[in-house]
Amino acid sequence: MASESSTIPTSVHPSGKQIDWVRALIYVILIVGALASALPFLYMIMTSFKTYGDIINNNFWPWPPFGDEALQWQNYPDAINNVGFDKAWQVPLVVRYFANSIIVTVLGVVGILLTSIFAAYALAQMNLPGKNIIFILILATLMIPPDLTLVPKVVMMFNFGWYNAYPALIIPFLASVFSIFLLRQFFMQIPKDLFDAALIDGAGHLRYLFTIVLPLSKPAVVTTALLNFIWSWDSFKWPLLVTRDSNMRVVAVGLQQFMASEGGTKVQLLMAFATLVVVPVLVFYFITQKYFKEGVITTGIKG
Amino acid sequence: MKKLFLLTALVVLVVALAACAAPTPEPTKAPAPAPTTAPATAPTKAPEPTKAPEPTKPAPTAVKINNPPKTPEEVDAIDLTGKKVTVTYWHNRPQKDQDMLQSMLDEFNKTNPYGITAKAEIGGASYNDVYNKVNAAIQAGAPPDISVAYQNQAAFYRNQGAVIDLNPFIKSKKYGLSEADLKDYFQTFLASDANPQFKGEVLGFPTQRSMDVMYVNLDMLKKVGYDKIPTDWKTWEEAACKASDPANKKYGWAFRHDASNFATLVFSRGGRILAEDGSAYVFNSQAGIDATSMIQRMIANKCAVEIPTSERYGEQNRFGAGEILFVFASSSGLPFYNEAVSKGAKFTWDIAMPPNTGKPAINLYGASISVYKTTPEKELAAWLVIKFLGQKEQTTRWAIQTGYLPVRQSAKADVIAAFKKDKSWGPVADSYAKMFDWAQYAMVESPVAGYDPVRALIDKDVMSKVLADPKADVKALLDAAVKQANAILKENAPK
Repeated sequence: MASESSTIPTSVHPSGKQIDWVRALIYVILIVGALASALPFLYMIMTSFKTYGDIINNNFWPWPPFGDEALQWQNYPDAINNVGFDKAWQVPLVVRYFANSIIVTVLGVVGILLTSIFAAYALAQMNLPGKNIIFILILATLMIPPDLTLVPKVVMMFNFGWYNAYPALIIPFLASVFSIFLLRQFFMQIPKDLFDAALIDGAGHLRYLFTIVLPLSKPAVVTTALLNFIWSWDSFKWPLLVTRDSNMRVVAVGLQQFMASEGGTKVQLLMAFATLVVVPVLVFYFITQKYFKEGVITTGIKG
Repeated sequence: MKKLFLLTALVVLVVALAACAAPTPEPTKAPAPAPTTAPATAPTKAPEPTKAPEPTKPAPTAVKINNPPKTPEEVDAIDLTGKKVTVTYWHNRPQKDQDMLQSMLDEFNKTNPYGITAKAEIGGASYNDVYNKVNAAIQAGAPPDISVAYQNQAAFYRNQGAVIDLNPFIKSKKYGLSEADLKDYFQTFLASDANPQFKGEVLGFPTQRSMDVMYVNLDMLKKVGYDKIPTDWKTWEEAACKASDPANKKYGWAFRHDASNFATLVFSRGGRILAEDGSAYVFNSQAGIDATSMIQRMIANKCAVEIPTSERYGEQNRFGAGEILFVFASSSGLPFYNEAVSKGAKFTWDIAMPPNTGKPAINLYGASISVYKTTPEKELAAWLVIKFLGQKEQTTRWAIQTGYLPVRQSAKADVIAAFKKDKSWGPVADSYAKMFDWAQYAMVESPVAGYDPVRALIDKDVMSKVLADPKADVKALLDAAVKQANAILKENAPK
């Protein structure tokens, strides 16, 4: 150990403390990485408060003390109005988009958690014959590109009579192979002895799952929930394909409306709407941050 | 147990909500293509015995109506009375335009004598969104009745037997367009929908158009010593190079990275992207070589700046900031350019036709409306909706709202007057008016199936390479691209 520590390049700071250059380099890399991740987000928020003129003129900071512009709060109501009005509910269409996104995301996440928890538990903790083969078969479906199954799935939605209705937006996503995989890996870390002890106390599989496994697996469950929340909230192509009416659409589809196909776009309104869309994801992340970090560390997933 | 109960309750909630979802209207399915027959005309009465028998007229025969109808007579024979047909229209315009479109269709629903009900729906925010959605819907057997489609997209649908030829409907005596009506349409707009790949079948009908025009910063042009907008490529390139000052982020030309920009340069040199008969791609002609060489040279000499595809509308923003002398872009961007300049560097600007080598040409943009194969009655109802949207009043309203060009010459004066009255258009109204004169020089890039991968090919295998390598062999690149493009054309040939 002594020889290992002596190889780390260090120098002495005027204050007398040694500077660990390797650690400093790591910090620099991390800071650069954090800035690179945060910059698009900061750009979005800043742009959402600028005038169109500031954007055209590449005015990075048009507000005091470097400029004399006021924050353009008006961009937010303008963006909302730009999306349109829902005559049925007599509200801005954006309200319908958010309501639909919330319904689809909440029900989707709850459904995925239920199916994934049961499947993962069975694959990790129960003595099922051929469960490894079943698991491999389930995993193999990850190899099928999602775009390949898009058209057959749309055909099914028409055939089931779910086109332009909530079932088409929710039900096809109630099972997630990735979530099963993630939870199974976590459940496998729970010692079998716990189940034996629970069995002696008279618990069955269900009671064991809900009273012992799940409380121990909070980080993995929360991570699964958060990831699925983000995917569901951001989904664009599927909701566009299986909906017809504006009042059945979700926020991501609403956001796309700002990208006019020909001509141009009002960037400041686009960014204001994008900020509104991102806020719920951020709120959910901050609430679950503690568990999410644990989940990432213990399950080995990356972002 | 409390948690177990809560989870069970959630499951019940999911199932209940799914079951209580709004009832889904039946998708419009394409029925079996059995030909329908027009009702036979009333039987001729037997001659009265007291009168001498009149010379017998040939008994009117029942017209067999194919699906889709093949002749104007078949269309004439379709009876819509009491059928109460519904027509669904998928388009790509934002909500504001959807509201306007639906209000126009509401008027149609009230006034048409056949009880047709038309409904507009946003199929997506871009032409590609609608294209993807329509393709999925065709596979599902539930396409819309009409949708917005570029000519090459319509050809792709036609290859699957999903869209129909509109010729019999246009020529129908009962439901078609009169000669005066047809003359009122801009002829180049109408011609752009006749598909060479399908022997001139009309696979769509125009209700709007735009074109790839040249935006010019007049102040900047004057500053480098030109009083007039260059009309030949040599002077144009010279002016662009004089205006370039890379140290101050100023460039003569902002090169938008796509195949349409390339097509504009080829057309204006007398070339074509696709042979007139649709038999082969020909963009490796001398016009193609000259256009590509110019792009390569101007980028290498820093007379032009490449706008990366990731910088959406970057050329517009930079133009607005007074950094660019020339930009080629869609005329549908006129109000956006106006706003960019008025909020940006506030200079004098105008639009012009691209320079040329003697024969003016302009790249015509704008998708048409295609009709999907359903039943002869629905197809006729769909045509009547399109015909309505093409009426002078409707095309005028649509042009004023969207900034597109109307499709009828008779709409020209009203649209220009409306723009001149609207202060937000300012001097742009005069520029807009010029485009009506340019319509006669309109050319279409490629109306054949499979043009989208060819566009990607031009961008990736030609444009990207000459932008990256000033010494790249332009002729070799174009020849290779044309070879591949022709293979794609063959793959997508009518089956």
